[in-house]
Amino acid sequence: MNTPRLFQFALAALIALTFTGCANGKKKTGGGGGGADGDFVNGTPLPERQEGVSFLGSNVDRSKFSPVHFGFDSVAIDSGERGKIDEVAGFLKSASNTLILAGFTDERGTPDYNRGLGERRAQAVREALIRAGADAGKIQTVSFGAEMPAATGGGESAWAKNRRAEFGVVR
Amino acid sequence: MKNSRAFSLFAFSLFASVALTRGAEAPTITISKSDKLAVAIGTLSGADGAAAAKILQNDLAMSGYFNIGPAASAGFVIGGTSGGGSLAGTVTDRSGKTVLSQTFSGTPRGKVHAFADEIIETVTGSKGIANTRVAFVSNRSGHKEIYTADADGSGVHQLTNDANISVGPRISPDGRTLVYTGYKSGYADVYEIELASGARNRIIKSPGTNTGASYSADGHQLAVIMSKEGNPELYTTGAGGGGARRLTRSTGVESTPTWSPDGAEIIYSSDDRGTPQLYRISASGGTGRQLSTGHGYNTEPNWSPDGKKIAFTVRDGGGFSIAVLDLAGGSARVVATGEGPAWGADSRHLIYAEGGSLILLDSQTGQKTTVVSGFGKISEPSWSR
Repeated sequence: MNTPRLFQFALAALIALTFTGCANGKKKTGGGGGGADGDFVNGTPLPERQEGVSFLGSNVDRSKFSPVHFGFDSVAIDSGERGKIDEVAGFLKSASNTLILAGFTDERGTPDYNRGLGERRAQAVREALIRAGADAGKIQTVSFGAEMPAATGGGESAWAKNRRAEFGVVR
Repeated sequence: MKNSRAFSLFAFSLFASVALTRGAEAPTITISKSDKLAVAIGTLSGADGAAAAKILQNDLAMSGYFNIGPAASAGFVIGGTSGGGSLAGTVTDRSGKTVLSQTFSGTPRGKVHAFADEIIETVTGSKGIANTRVAFVSNRSGHKEIYTADADGSGVHQLTNDANISVGPRISPDGRTLVYTGYKSGYADVYEIELASGARNRIIKSPGTNTGASYSADGHQLAVIMSKEGNPELYTTGAGGGGARRLTRSTGVESTPTWSPDGAEIIYSSDDRGTPQLYRISASGGTGRQLSTGHGYNTEPNWSPDGKKIAFTVRDGGGFSIAVLDLAGGSARVVATGEGPAWGADSRHLIYAEGGSLILLDSQTGQKTTVVSGFGKISEPSWSR
């Protein structure tokens, strides 16, 4: 478990460095704490919310793009999922719409950890969209944890469908 | 991968059976029946005296400190008058000396719970758990809503009615307010409810997901997980959600913070190094130090009011268990199957969710009591102190 996860982080760090360079002080850290001077961050800060715009509301189209799926307890984006991200990035570059990314987990974690894990998945997709050229200021995130499963019932086939990030296009 | 998963499952069942057996048979302190104090409930006169005697008997039994029997063999005899919103209670010792004489007011149950806790504190020196409230999530309405109840499971009250998702309730130590994660706006926000008036405010609504809010022991601060800077991180805020200060800088998922009783430290879960582990960090900043638990998946820590230990949820295979770790040293001890533990005011009892029911565990005797069941699927309990 540990080794592939660390490897993912190393890979993510490498990608982040390759694409963004060190100009904005972006770097990755291990451990629960961080630099004393606090001059690095791990993701791209979110823009202020559009109040009144809800991922659950009728002003958001959740079916325009297919969800990105994830492995068990993982936030890594598999190469097979890249096409979905490129498609959305292309859309965001040409349209004026904003996007709400919603992260979800399967039912196997504890509730608050699942809320955090779902948020990490949404943020991982957001970072990938930004690296593919999308405007960070147009992308919000939210996590529902294990709530609102795409498939009910136990078993890996349902769990695999539930570990996802959905694209909500604000109309 | 499949093989190693199957092996770890096998290893888990082996370990779990050992750990559970150890938990049941060799708790740190054992109070056998003879160690308990003998008390007698004498005459409780007045309009609702008989009902009060029943509630009191249950409260005293639940505390774990007493054998309730006849006055002849009792070290302490309880008496009083109950009616009309007040209860005048007395406790006399074997010599006939009055050790407690006090009047309690409140609801028919509330005044008795207050009397029970005063008896416990007078006789044992420890804080009681009777006059406290629990909060939890249930899906019984078809949606996850927040409910509160007395610690004995009576007086269940539905607090939210949003037909949305309301989760992660944390009741303030004084039992007056409650924070939770609600999705009314379509985002995950932290709401605070004043329990007496029902007044609700959305106190944390940063971009992203705001969750895991938990009160410090004095109720003046919150620890909370926010993702506004691009990753879920641990922050502290004032009680009203303002003045956020970031404590962690990680690539992982932080969750479920809990405060030390003196407010100086926070223990939280983070999967920054792979699987979720517990870390201890100064509430004023610095680096989180990992706690060694011997388990691969550790979340939902809850710091005991006496500051000596934490209870938390572990997952070693498919299911969850409650573990207790003595912060002075030693290894984590699995005490029950279930999840979401919360210590009571006595640092002795735990409540947690198991199989959708709310369970009370006496961590000294291993005695388990089902507090609320058949009430939808209960999760994420919290307990006032």
